[in-house]
Amino acid sequence: LSQTDDAAYAPETQNDQSSAGTCFGFSVSPDLGFKYLRNGEGEPLTIIESADEPEGTEHAPVLEWSPTPAIPWHARLYDDGARFRLWIESGGWFVVEPSLSRITIPTHDDHVRREERLWGLPAILTFLERGDLPLHAAAVEVDGGAVILGAPGRFGKTTLAAAFVSAGYRLLSEDVTCVRLTERPVAIPGPAMLRVRQDVADSVATNNVSVTLEAQEPEARVHFSIDPSLRGDCNPVPIRGIVLLRVTDDRVWLDPVDPVAALRDLWPLSFRLPFDSDRGRAFGGLAELVRDVPIWNLHRPMRIDALSAAVAGIVEGV
Amino acid sequence: LLEPGSTVRQNPRVVHRRLAEGEGGVLLHLETSAYHGVNEIGLAIWEIVGDGKTIAEVVQELGARVSDPPAKLEDDVIQFLDGLRDRGLVTD
Repeated sequence: LSQTDDAAYAPETQNDQSSAGTCFGFSVSPDLGFKYLRNGEGEPLTIIESADEPEGTEHAPVLEWSPTPAIPWHARLYDDGARFRLWIESGGWFVVEPSLSRITIPTHDDHVRREERLWGLPAILTFLERGDLPLHAAAVEVDGGAVILGAPGRFGKTTLAAAFVSAGYRLLSEDVTCVRLTERPVAIPGPAMLRVRQDVADSVATNNVSVTLEAQEPEARVHFSIDPSLRGDCNPVPIRGIVLLRVTDDRVWLDPVDPVAALRDLWPLSFRLPFDSDRGRAFGGLAELVRDVPIWNLHRPMRIDALSAAVAGIVEGV
Repeated sequence: LLEPGSTVRQNPRVVHRRLAEGEGGVLLHLETSAYHGVNEIGLAIWEIVGDGKTIAEVVQELGARVSDPPAKLEDDVIQFLDGLRDRGLVTD
């Protein structure tokens, strides 16, 4: 990404206010009523509100998402060279200028959902600029180390993360984990939020959280913020291991995964733009990660009454 | 089948990464997103092939790298590179 052309998109306002908190290692300013930030300091990230649709050249989106049960809305990502424009159905326009660490967000009555969208793709595009690796996975802190919870089968990572939170462990990320490939890979904590099904909210996510949004169709998930006492800051947490969630009918057990097999499961969980250079970046990052971090399969019944055993198995075995 | 005089080269749309010492590496075909694990010897062959080598050159360089190379090294190299060619990872 090259330096942005400021003349091409003039922000409505500029803010130099003090940080409202941190997320993904960024100090976020100004305070726009954010619910999911952590403590501490980080690199500056400027957030600007704008009611206008951003100007941009007409061309095909580089990525487009159709509604799914998990993400029930359309979205399109446009790459203008120096910046990205992201349109989300019912959510408005986000403009991401990674080289300037600046994101423009729409004025919107629903501040909670707007913030949640901000910490998705706009944040990913911004921390990609730093060289970090996004993974579609949750992460929790166990004894000072990050345990990444990936669900190649797409189900269960948030519920298991909720069980960790309820048991008093710190949630590092719920949906997107920011990995930094230093000599020993680390996770950079993301938003202190948790979104779970109603039945999980009723039976699992009962401690250390506060409701920010009640469940609504079509998404039907209850949204929580993590209690401030359990948020901590955004300092990097050394990665202790990656756990891939598998389904079985009986007991809970862990078994190690060799790097090549792990790469097969992690590749679909990585984010990449549809260009050779970006696919190569993602692949190279994952290869480094599986080389340097132990990977485990966690076989567990997908039942709420098995969650405690799954938490205990990870704490003891990873 | 490839022959000793055949020249092969890495497909430029394939990227590779070495894993930990002794664990070989992985190749990703950017066009198909298919990836392939290779052992240490396979990775050495891949690296020797580079921008273009004959099978004979690959066998000679590989033989110099490994201790006690097998008598049928050429057959093994041809079989391996045929497999890579079938998967579009190397080209003639």
